[in-house]
Amino acid sequence: MPGDPLVIDSISKSFGSVEAVCSLSAKLPPGCIYGFLGPNGAGKTTTIRMVMDIIHPDSGQLRVLGQSSIETVRDRIGYMPEERGLYRKMSVKNVIAYLGSLHGMDKAGLDRAIPRWLERMELSDWGDKKVEELSRGMQQKLQFIATVINEPELLILDEPFSGLDPLNLDLLKNIVLGLRDEGRSVIFSTHMMEQAERICDYILLINNGQKVIDGSLEQVRAQYKSNALLVELEGETDFIRKLPIVAGVKKEDRKLEVSLAGGADPQEFLKTIVDKVRVLSFEVKAPSLHEIFVQLVGGEADE
Amino acid sequence: MNKILKVARREFFETIKTKAFIIGILLAPVIMGIAFLFIRFQEKTLTGPRPAKKLALLNLSEEVSAELDSAFAQHNQSNPQRQIVLKKYSEENLPGADARVQELKEAVREGEFDAFLFLGKGVLDSVGRGQFYTKKAADITFFPSVRYLVNDAVFKTRFRQRDISPELIAELRRGVPMDEVDLSGKVEKKRNKVAMMFVPLAFMFLMFFGIFAVSQVLLMSVIEEKTSRVIEVILSAVSPFQLMAGKILGIYAVGLCLISLYGTVVYATISYYGAGDVVSAGMIVYFIIYYLLGFLLISSMLAAIGSACNDIKESQTLMQPVMLLLMIPLFAWFIIVQRPEGTLATVLSFIPPMTPLVMILRLAAHPDLPLFQIIASILLLAASVPAVIWAAAKIFRTGILMYGKPPSLRELIRWVRYN
Repeated sequence: MPGDPLVIDSISKSFGSVEAVCSLSAKLPPGCIYGFLGPNGAGKTTTIRMVMDIIHPDSGQLRVLGQSSIETVRDRIGYMPEERGLYRKMSVKNVIAYLGSLHGMDKAGLDRAIPRWLERMELSDWGDKKVEELSRGMQQKLQFIATVINEPELLILDEPFSGLDPLNLDLLKNIVLGLRDEGRSVIFSTHMMEQAERICDYILLINNGQKVIDGSLEQVRAQYKSNALLVELEGETDFIRKLPIVAGVKKEDRKLEVSLAGGADPQEFLKTIVDKVRVLSFEVKAPSLHEIFVQLVGGEADE
Repeated sequence: MNKILKVARREFFETIKTKAFIIGILLAPVIMGIAFLFIRFQEKTLTGPRPAKKLALLNLSEEVSAELDSAFAQHNQSNPQRQIVLKKYSEENLPGADARVQELKEAVREGEFDAFLFLGKGVLDSVGRGQFYTKKAADITFFPSVRYLVNDAVFKTRFRQRDISPELIAELRRGVPMDEVDLSGKVEKKRNKVAMMFVPLAFMFLMFFGIFAVSQVLLMSVIEEKTSRVIEVILSAVSPFQLMAGKILGIYAVGLCLISLYGTVVYATISYYGAGDVVSAGMIVYFIIYYLLGFLLISSMLAAIGSACNDIKESQTLMQPVMLLLMIPLFAWFIIVQRPEGTLATVLSFIPPMTPLVMILRLAAHPDLPLFQIIASILLLAASVPAVIWAAAKIFRTGILMYGKPPSLRELIRWVRYN
């Protein structure tokens, strides 16, 4: 798969006086999971809908799988919208077959793919049942099958895990990771930062329709080094609170979470305490995406 | 194009599997049966028996009395289904008669008689006048037949006074037997006039049903896809326009099936009444053209309305203007059939949503409509179809992703202009 599967070039979209997306640019590298992150209402779904050409951007350009018009590449994309549903009166197999054929699959391909995916999703016994007879969790798995049945090169999942129980969540997560390992690109939109942290290779943080930060997870984390340390100590620790380079101390189980004053070097802190107490463990705490986000946009992102 | 056909195919097969559709099919013979009975009923009221009419008579011209009696007796004898029961009152002179007139008028008012006929003195010399009092002026045949009988009695009395035998006069006045032959169809023939009136109506109902009732299936299908949230999933594979076009096409196929079924039943019914030859090949071609264009016009409007609404109830409000337009031909059918080349019929033919209904009504009533009118109406309709589809597609695109409060008509127009 040559080239970037998705290039977003300063797209904007307003609804009346509300600016949903404002001059957003991003580039999706191939073969990775790309997280669209941000609180509810940040503009994630609007951006995705513009990628899918369900709504037109007011300005800016998009290239999907190297094409400026999505029409020619729709069959190579799998899209699971946030607002999702299926034809309730159709049978499970027929629904998948219909969506697969809309994505350009022929009958032979469908006959091969449908049983395989039903089995993988533990829905083999339900193939001839009507969709409305399935439980919510099953319907969501069915929805996922319908999204990936055409073996898309680019998979766009808008809040794919909402409402799933932990078992099914793991099942789907592993499949998504597997698809990534096959070289497919995945756009994964969520407002759950912790979820994104566990699965994404790249992230794009959006707030109020604007990019806050983007890059690989490591890059982003490295850029926003935390000044928090986790230490496990033996001995009298009260003095730490009084050190000039320490901003605050929080007790966490047997460990202490130490926040350093701005600009302070953790190395320095270690040197200071190593003579006075016994250090059992010392860890520079990696910043969570949530922390980075809060740091970048302030408290408004707290949910 | 391929995707449009795929959407259409699913729409078609899923629709004909629904209960509503199967009921609709079963309903076809029932509706036709009702139409059949309706025509029978209309025929009966025009030619069938009616209750006898009670007529009070106060006749001051004694000289015509005998012929009057025989005229009414003869009428009753030759019209067993239109009996007139005569009750005679007599009063010699006017002051007394005046009171009697008042009394009998009152009796008519109270419903004792259907009518009261007063004949003044000297009707034979055209000095006296007659007065016919009735409450049932809407009965347009009663007064003329009474007037005819009175005049007949007066003529016969005059003949007798001049020693001319009324039988001789009748003999001399014998008419020429004549048939009315209709040339509008291919086959020259005498027609059942009542059925002839209802053939255009049957055509229009078929068109109305095929366009409006079937389009409502599309409206419901759009609303269902929207409320079940399946619509955006489908939009991952097809564009909003492809989706709309496919749905319209699928439902159109459903409509064609129903129209053929109902049309066959209608044809059987009117053939039974000897009017089957109105259904010429040309008529069928016109029907197909008007049906296609009319369906595209109305169904794309309803698809747009459906996309903007979350349930059937909300859609009713937005549908009202369309409904009202389509109702006009339904109310005006009688005038249009009576005067297919009249101003009303011509003007209504050129208001696109009404065109298919009005034109099929006019063509069935009067197959020799000016060709330029037919062509002009088709061209106007054909030109308005892409414009409406274009606007509908814009509303559809915006509407299908909107949940919550349904938009007003003004907002819909804004969506068209805005996007």
